[in-house]
Amino acid sequence: MMEKMIFGRYVPADSVIHRMDPRSKLLIVFLFVCIVFLANNNITYGILAVYTLIMMRLSKIPFRFLYAGLKPVFWLVVFTMLLHLFLTKEGQMLFELGPVKIYDEGLRKGIFISLRFFLLILVTSLLTLTTTPIEITDGLETLLKPLNKVKFPVHELAFMMSISLRFIPTLMQETDKIMKAQTARGVEFTSGPVKERIKAIIPLLIPLFVSSFKRAEELAIAMEARGYRGGEGRTKYRQLHWKPVDTVMLFLLGLITILLILFRT
Amino acid sequence: MKKLNTKTIVTVGMLSTIAYVLMLLNFPIPPFPSFLLIDFSDIPAMIAALVFGPAAGILVELIKNILDYLMKGSPTGVPVGHIANFAAGIIFILPTWFVYNKLKTKKGMTIALVTGTIVMSVLMSVLNYFVILPAYTFFLNAPAMSAPETRQLIVTAILPFNIIKGFLLSIVFMLIFSRLQSLIGKQNVYESI
Repeated sequence: MMEKMIFGRYVPADSVIHRMDPRSKLLIVFLFVCIVFLANNNITYGILAVYTLIMMRLSKIPFRFLYAGLKPVFWLVVFTMLLHLFLTKEGQMLFELGPVKIYDEGLRKGIFISLRFFLLILVTSLLTLTTTPIEITDGLETLLKPLNKVKFPVHELAFMMSISLRFIPTLMQETDKIMKAQTARGVEFTSGPVKERIKAIIPLLIPLFVSSFKRAEELAIAMEARGYRGGEGRTKYRQLHWKPVDTVMLFLLGLITILLILFRT
Repeated sequence: MKKLNTKTIVTVGMLSTIAYVLMLLNFPIPPFPSFLLIDFSDIPAMIAALVFGPAAGILVELIKNILDYLMKGSPTGVPVGHIANFAAGIIFILPTWFVYNKLKTKKGMTIALVTGTIVMSVLMSVLNYFVILPAYTFFLNAPAMSAPETRQLIVTAILPFNIIKGFLLSIVFMLIFSRLQSLIGKQNVYESI
């Protein structure tokens, strides 16, 4: 349970994708989300589907983890596909059964739109399945560096995120402890009417706030005693390494973008 | 924004963790559709805003949503729901902070929270109409909703939901605020943003 909280959806494996730099992965996912909308015919959707399949194979993530991301919306996608199937009245008629008429344009649209949706989910899931939250934080920190120019506190944001990540298990444990302590005193958290449940949350929140203010104070003093002075000139324990494979992957996606632009109609 | 000091950074980090944990304890309220969830994660953000200034509150909202996206992902791939939550959070916190800062009393806090609730419900309805619902239908590839349909969903579900959410948040926050006032006051002795 605790482990799950630190690593989020991360599934450890030894693969090319796992070893890639979080910066390049973030860039690739961002670009992919943009170019998915370029596809509009068989060839372009085919290219994107093949690309996604290759990435899935390379990541060595068992399919059930990816499926877990698709599950919540699977039926919704099937439903919209059927809507397109039955309501589009363009192109040639393929099939007729009483009042139900299915046209090839409807079939094409239905398949394309569901495919686009699946591709989006699969690729964004691949990012969080192969990268730990802390790596993503480090990646974001370097990628967002330019925002420093407009006085946005990039280092501070990343630092807060890593502190936050570090303390999720601690706070979950503490929440659990307080909940148990209050349950022992007769508070019910999980049952009862909404009004009672809201009342129950007060004796949970107050100790939580008090203790985290205390903890924050101690941590801040400890950090300052060790000479923490913000982002400038700070050396890092976890360093990011841009490897040849990152450049190759980025180029590959660039190539795919060009192909999409050439083949789209 | 001035340079953030160490204590601010650490405390905002901690408050974001509380916000994230509270976000996990969300629940729907029966008459509304299940994608409208109530959680109390705006409370730590509000406390951050009161102690360290509005920027800290915005940071708590931002970090909480980034963490949730990294941990759970989003059913739409692109985090539309998280962006909506972030927007709702800051347009609730900022007016509340602004009004409270002018009045600085317990009664002022009540007025501030009422203002926050009203501003949040109204602006969220507008945002939903023009941005969030269209974005959802776009990314989920549901057929686009017609304008009257959207309006109906907003008037019957989203607007009352946000009013109730703001109301519940206000009650819980008032109860916590009266007990934490001394703690918040103590933090203020140190430098704020």
